[in-house]
Formats: sequence, C-alpha cells, structure tokens
Amino acid sequence: MEEQLATFLTSQGAYHIGIGLAAIGSGLGLGMAVSKAMEAMGRQPEAAGRIQTGMIIGAAFIEALTIYALISSFIRM
Amino acid sequence: MLEGTASMSILYSVIPNVVLQAGEHLASQAASHAADQTATAQAASAHPPELPNFVHLLHEFFPDSSLFYNLWQIQDLVFIVIIIAVIAAFFSAATRKMSIIPRRLQCMVEMIVEGLLGVVCGILGEKNGRRYFPFLGSLFIFIICMNWFGLIPFMKSPSSNILVTASLAICVFIFVQFTAIKRLGIKGFFFHLMGEPRDAVGWAMVPLFLPLHILEEFIKPLSLACRLYGNVYGEDVLLGVGLVLGIGMVAVVWPGTFIGVPLHLPFVLLAILLSAIQALVFTLLASVYLSMVMPHEDHDDEH
Repeated sequence: MEEQLATFLTSQGAYHIGIGLAAIGSGLGLGMAVSKAMEAMGRQPEAAGRIQTGMIIGAAFIEALTIYALISSFIRM
Repeated sequence: MLEGTASMSILYSVIPNVVLQAGEHLASQAASHAADQTATAQAASAHPPELPNFVHLLHEFFPDSSLFYNLWQIQDLVFIVIIIAVIAAFFSAATRKMSIIPRRLQCMVEMIVEGLLGVVCGILGEKNGRRYFPFLGSLFIFIICMNWFGLIPFMKSPSSNILVTASLAICVFIFVQFTAIKRLGIKGFFFHLMGEPRDAVGWAMVPLFLPLHILEEFIKPLSLACRLYGNVYGEDVLLGVGLVLGIGMVAVVWPGTFIGVPLHLPFVLLAILLSAIQALVFTLLASVYLSMVMPHEDHDDEH
C-alpha cells in the first residue's frame, strides 16, 4: 500500500490531482470575490467601473495560483 | 496508420505527425491496455500536444532544408514579426486619412484607443494615464494579438513561450523602475523601497521591509510572465488535447482514418474570451505597478 502510494506520488498523476486541488481553492476564492463585487455593484451602480477593475485584478492574483500549479506540471513533463 | 493511397498521403502529411502519432498511441493503448501504466503515461506526456503551425509544417515537408529548420527553431520570432507587420499595417491604414467625421477603420481604432484610455486613466488618473498610455496601450494591443494569433489555423501564439512573456515582463519592470527613479528621485526611490517610514516605529521596521520590498519588485515581473505564459500555453495544450482526443476517438472505431470529431471547438470559444482577459490583466497590472510608484500628491485624489 505504501509502495503504491509512493509510486503514485512520484508519477505524473499526482500533478493532475495537485492541479485539481489548486483549482478548488482558486474556484472558492474567485466565487467569493466575484459575488462580493457583484453585491457591491448592485449597491452602488455608479462605481461599477472601478469595482470591476479591482475585481479583475484580484481575480488575476487568485487565478495565478492555479496557473503556477499548471506550470509546475508542465516543467515536470 | 500512415500507409494509404497517394492522395491520402498528401492529406496525412497535412495533419502533423504529432497529432497522428498521439491518435495512434491512443488507439494502441485502447487495444492493449495491459502495458506498464506509468511508462505509457510518461511517454504520452513527454510532449504535450499542440496545434500545428505553418513553420512546423514547412519543416516537416522539407526536413533537409536548413532554412526551414532554422525558422522552426525561432518560430516564435517569426510569428512576432508577422504580428507586428499586421498591427502596423492595420493601424497605419486606419490613420492614413484621418478626418473629423471618422470613417469605418478610423472609427474602430478610435473605439479601441478610447476604451483602453478609459481603463488606464481609471487607475493612473487623467494626467498620468495620458502620459503613460502609449506604452500600456501598445502592450495591450500586442499581447491580445499574440494571444489570438494561436486561434488562427496554422498559426501559433508566441506568448505560449515563456521567453516572450518574460521579455515583456522585463520591459514592464525596467519601465516601472525607470519611471520610479525619474518621478521620485534617487532618494525618494529608496524611501519608497523602505516602505516610506514616517515615525520611529516605521524606521525600526526598515531592516525588515527593505529586503521584502526589493524582493517584491522582482517577484512582480516573474508573476506577470508566469501568468501570461501559463494561461496561453495551457489553452494551447487544451486545444491540442481536444484535437487528439477527437482524432483518437474515431481512430479507435475506424483505424487508419484521419477524420476527427472537433472536440476542441468549445475550448476555442473559451480561449477567445480568456486571451482577451489575460491581455487586459497584464495591462491592468502594469498600470497598477506604475501607479504604486507615482508621487502621492498626484494620485491621492483619485482613490
């Protein structure tokens, strides 16, 4: 069992699962960020442009974490 | 799989060997799935599939030609030159006969420039936004063209190479540092790096903050480059995987065919949107990094 686990963790499959885990975290974070931004836009439609810019920047930072996981799997290839 | 009639062989050679071999690999894997799982997985993932481009195809057609081999080695540069030519031709054609009442092309270019100017000015403020717009706006147009170029058949996104995105990020890094020194002065620049201490506690924290801020300045371009590269290359590999799966599915049922199911089509539509967003994010982050080094009296009223 332990040998199989070790083989799996050193194989490519572990990277796929790692990307999936990173995507879960990014998805949760993005969902929270975008829902709050939408609430804020609904409350203050006149500030929608500025909120949207901030939301996109934040989303880029959140989403970069998944991209780092993806890049590390590319490098492993 | 590659054997066939003469007319078939021409069609086969148009589809790159990468895709065909991967389809064959899938078919053989389905036929004999008793092989060593780890070894096959690593063999399949050794070269992530990518869509074909015409430089690669020229190299495949003429394997003996050293010109095409060299072009293939520097394919990203070839596509960058093509993109720059396309952008320059489009914008010079649009701005050749400018008039008060804009015609079709001029109207389109004005729309692009005004939209970008609004985004940049929203972050940097009206005065600074207009001042640094030439750099940031051309960054956006160049990156969005590079990202979208990979969606044209037989073309490749140059931004799916980390060297290209890294050189763009280094441009942003040098521009931001140069602007910081120019706008803040040498003394102000180091004061900014020290976290702008105002009281005794602030000065006491300088040994902690100075290395952190210097490190941060180098992490910014690294993160810019990795984000753009990862997104665009990930998209390209996704399209390639979709294509290989589409060909492999048919090859399992009907071996020896080159017909495939366009499984990558939904991802193309997704890639159009994501490429635009990544170009926007790169420009926005460059503007934000620039706004961080502006003197404070200039942008206090904007935020």
